[in-house]
Amino acid sequence: MKTVIKTNGLSKTYTNTAVPVEALKDISLEFKEGEFTAIVGPSGSGKTTFLNVIGGLDKPTKGNVIIDDVDIASMKESQMFDFRLKHIGFVFQAYNLIPVLTATENVSFIMLLQKRPKEEMNKRAKEMLEQVGLSDKLDVRPNKLSGGQQQRVAVARALASRPDFVLADEPTANLDTESAFNLLDIMARLNKEENITLIFSTHDQRVIDRARRVITLVDGAVDKDEAFDRD
Amino acid sequence: MMLVKISWRNIWRNSARSLVIIIAIVLGVLGGNFSAAIRLGVERQNFKETVEHQVSHIQLHHPEFIANPEAHYRIEDGLKVAGEISQHPEVAVVSPRIVFDGMAASANMNTGVRIKGVDPELETATTDLGNLVSSGNYFSEPGRLPSVITGKELADELNVEVGSRIVLTFQDVAGEMVSASFRIEGLYEVTSTAFEKRNLFVRSDDLNELIGDQEAVTEIAVVLHDVDTYRKVSGELQNTYPDISVRHWADMQPSLYYSLEFLNQNLIWIVGLIILGVSFGLLNTILMSVLERVRELGILMAIGMKKAKVFGMIVFETTILAIIGGTAGLVLSWGMIRYLNNRGVDIAAFGGEGMGDFGYASVIYPELDTAFYFQVALVIVAFAILAACYPAWKAIRLVPAEAVREE
Repeated sequence: MKTVIKTNGLSKTYTNTAVPVEALKDISLEFKEGEFTAIVGPSGSGKTTFLNVIGGLDKPTKGNVIIDDVDIASMKESQMFDFRLKHIGFVFQAYNLIPVLTATENVSFIMLLQKRPKEEMNKRAKEMLEQVGLSDKLDVRPNKLSGGQQQRVAVARALASRPDFVLADEPTANLDTESAFNLLDIMARLNKEENITLIFSTHDQRVIDRARRVITLVDGAVDKDEAFDRD
Repeated sequence: MMLVKISWRNIWRNSARSLVIIIAIVLGVLGGNFSAAIRLGVERQNFKETVEHQVSHIQLHHPEFIANPEAHYRIEDGLKVAGEISQHPEVAVVSPRIVFDGMAASANMNTGVRIKGVDPELETATTDLGNLVSSGNYFSEPGRLPSVITGKELADELNVEVGSRIVLTFQDVAGEMVSASFRIEGLYEVTSTAFEKRNLFVRSDDLNELIGDQEAVTEIAVVLHDVDTYRKVSGELQNTYPDISVRHWADMQPSLYYSLEFLNQNLIWIVGLIILGVSFGLLNTILMSVLERVRELGILMAIGMKKAKVFGMIVFETTILAIIGGTAGLVLSWGMIRYLNNRGVDIAAFGGEGMGDFGYASVIYPELDTAFYFQVALVIVAFAILAACYPAWKAIRLVPAEAVREE
C-alpha cells in the first residue's frame, strides 16, 4: 500500500509559554492509504498538536512531514493554504460548518475554493449528503440540524473533494452515543468505499474500538502503535 | 459568487447589528449633508443678499472717494464711462450713481446716512431695489417734494413712515452745506439691518440738481452676465480706465469671499469628519462581529480559504452595508434638503432673528450641488473600507490551529 504520510523525528516545542512545553518528541510514523487510525492518549499528550502538524496547521520545531513526496514543514504559509485545500480534509470537534450556508453549500464549499465545475460540485455534494444519510436536509442551514447531523455534514464536506487523507480532531466529543455510533459507522463505510485514509485524535473508547490502528501518545512521544483486525 | 453569498448572509445573521451600522451611516450622511447644505445655503444667500442686492459685481469710483465719500470726488465723464462699460459683452447692466454721506433728520431724530442718487429703472435692474420695497411705492410719480426710498430700519429709527417728510443735509460740489426735504415714498427691506439703517435712495436727477452738477457720477455699479468673469472683466476695466478705482465684489467683501472659498474647498471635509466619527463606531462593531466569529474564520482558513479572501469577505460585508446606508442616506438627505430648500428653515424660533444684525437671513434655504452628493458617497465607501480593514487584518492574523479550538 502506498504511504500517504511519513513523519521523521517530528518534534514540537512551544516557547511562548512561561516554561517551554515539549508537545511532540521525536515522532517517526507512516500512514498507508486507506488506513483507519486513532491517535489516543490522555489530555495534553500531544494528539491535537500531532494532527495540526501533519495537517499543515502548525510547523514542527524539528523533523519533517512528507506528503506526496513533499516536505510540508518547509512550505511557505501561502503554499500551505493551497496544499491543505487540495490534499487534506478536516473534521473538527464541533461547530465545523459555515452557519450561513445550507448543508449542500457547506459540502460544496471546498470544491468551490478548488474551482471545480458547478455541475460536478452539486452532484458530488448531493451524493455525499446521501451517503451520510442527509438527503432530506440538502437546503437546511446548520442551526436547524442536530449536533450529530452537523458532524455528518462536516464529514461529507471533508470527503467530497476526495482529499488524500482526512484528519478528525475528536469528532465525537460532543455527540451522544447514538449519534457517535452513527457517525463512526458512516466514516468506517466511507473509509472502505472511497478508500480514504482517516486519522482521528480521540479519547473516546467508541472510536478506539472501531480503529484498525491505534497509536497511543504519552507526553508527546509514541507509547504504543497497535494494529487490530476489525473485519 | 459564493463569497458574495456568504458576505450577504453574514450581514443578516445579526440583523439588529447590521441595522445599527446602516442607521449610523444614514445619520452620518444625513447630518453631514444637512450641515453642509445649511452652510452652503447660508453663504449663497449671503452672497445673493450682499453682492446682488447691495454691492453688485463690480464698482468704479474716483480713487479718493473710498476714503472720503463726498460729492467732490466724482468720476470724470461718469455718464460717458458708464455708457462705454455697458457695451462690454460680459456686462449685463450698468447703474451710474451719485453717492455721498450726509444726515437724515425727521421731526425729532437725526442720523448719519449714505445718500444714493440712482436711475430708478437701472437700479432695479442692478440691485432689484424696486422689488425689495415692502411698503409704499417705488419712485412712481413725481410729487410736490422729491421722493426718497429708505430702509425700514432707518424709518423706524427716525420714527417716520411712508408719506412722512425727512430732511437730508449734505455738501454740494463746491463744499457748501445743502439741506432739502424729501417725502418717503417707499420702504425697502433686506436681510442686513445695518444696510437698511444706513442707505437711502433718491432720484439722481433730484440730487444732481441740489449739488449743482447735472451729470455728476461718483459710483458706477456693474452687473455681469456671468459672475465668474468678475476678475477678468474688472482687470480689463482697470486697464481701460487707469485713473479710476475698479473693485470687484471680492475686494469689497473680502470676508464673504474667503468664507465662500473656504466653504467650497472644505465642505467635503465637514462631511468627512462626521463620517470619520461614524467610522470609529463602525470599526468597533465590525471588530465585534469578527471576534464573535474567530472559530468560524479559523475553520475557513484551516480548510484552505486564503487570507486574501477572508480579508476581502470582511471588507466586502462592510462595503455592502456602506452602500446600503450611504444610498439610503443620500436619498433621504436629497429629499430633505430639496423639501427644506422649497420651504425654508426658519431659525427665528431658535433666536435667529438677530442674524439680520450680521447680514444673515433668519430663513435659511439649504442647498447642495449634485456633485457633492457623489463625493459624499465616495467618502463613505472609502471610510467604511478603511474602518473594515483593521478588523479584517485582525481576522487574517488568527492562527487557524488556535482559532478552530476557540470556544
